[in-house]
Amino acid sequence: MEGMRELRPLTAAQLARAEERLRNPRAGSRIEAAQRFGVDLTLLMEQLRLSPAERARGMEEVAQAAEQARGAARRKRI
Amino acid sequence: MKVITAVHALVDAGVDFTIIGGWCAILHGGANVTNDLDVCYSRQPENLKRLAGALAPFHPRLRGLPGDLPFVWDAATLHNGTNFKLWTDLGGIDLLAEVSGLGGFEEVKASSILVHVFDRDVWTLDLSSLIKAKRAAGREKDLRALPELEGLLEAREPE
Repeated sequence: MEGMRELRPLTAAQLARAEERLRNPRAGSRIEAAQRFGVDLTLLMEQLRLSPAERARGMEEVAQAAEQARGAARRKRI
Repeated sequence: MKVITAVHALVDAGVDFTIIGGWCAILHGGANVTNDLDVCYSRQPENLKRLAGALAPFHPRLRGLPGDLPFVWDAATLHNGTNFKLWTDLGGIDLLAEVSGLGGFEEVKASSILVHVFDRDVWTLDLSSLIKAKRAAGREKDLRALPELEGLLEAREPE
């Protein structure tokens, strides 16, 4: 496993830098382009505060809840 | 989509795979929910057997086809095809033998990083490679994902 690249939670310094960039996008930056496209940068900040495992767990819950809501809506239409 | 169960099944069976697509974006900080699990898998014969065995308990069938259409899920079926859009008891699982812009499984694995998620160690594309793959795929849904991914990449870049 030596030398293997790993996806880890951001360090405090990395997170602070990422949040600063997302909070105050530089003119002409890819972050500003994302904002103009309609990406909610505050959601990205919240996601980056989590570990990859926490992001996945949270999103699984959201996906399950969405599935249940879709199922309920289908049942109501029948 | 019961992604935890799917990931556990694949890892515990020793399947050689890497997570691509929407769940890869989520692991990197993407904020969009996805309905299926996309994986790129090794075409080595032993891996096809492991993959077939891992998903068999969840009754895979080809998505979008009539439910009564006969479909045999085994290593031979995997051997005879490359990409499979499956519906399983866990939800949608897409199996890809290669990824646009990256190549076959060996190239995809070389572009992947290890992540500890759902109590398992799993491979997933690194963010630059995910962006490359989405750009090469060129479908509207892939292109729509690019601004968020590019923004995440820039936010995480070193000084």
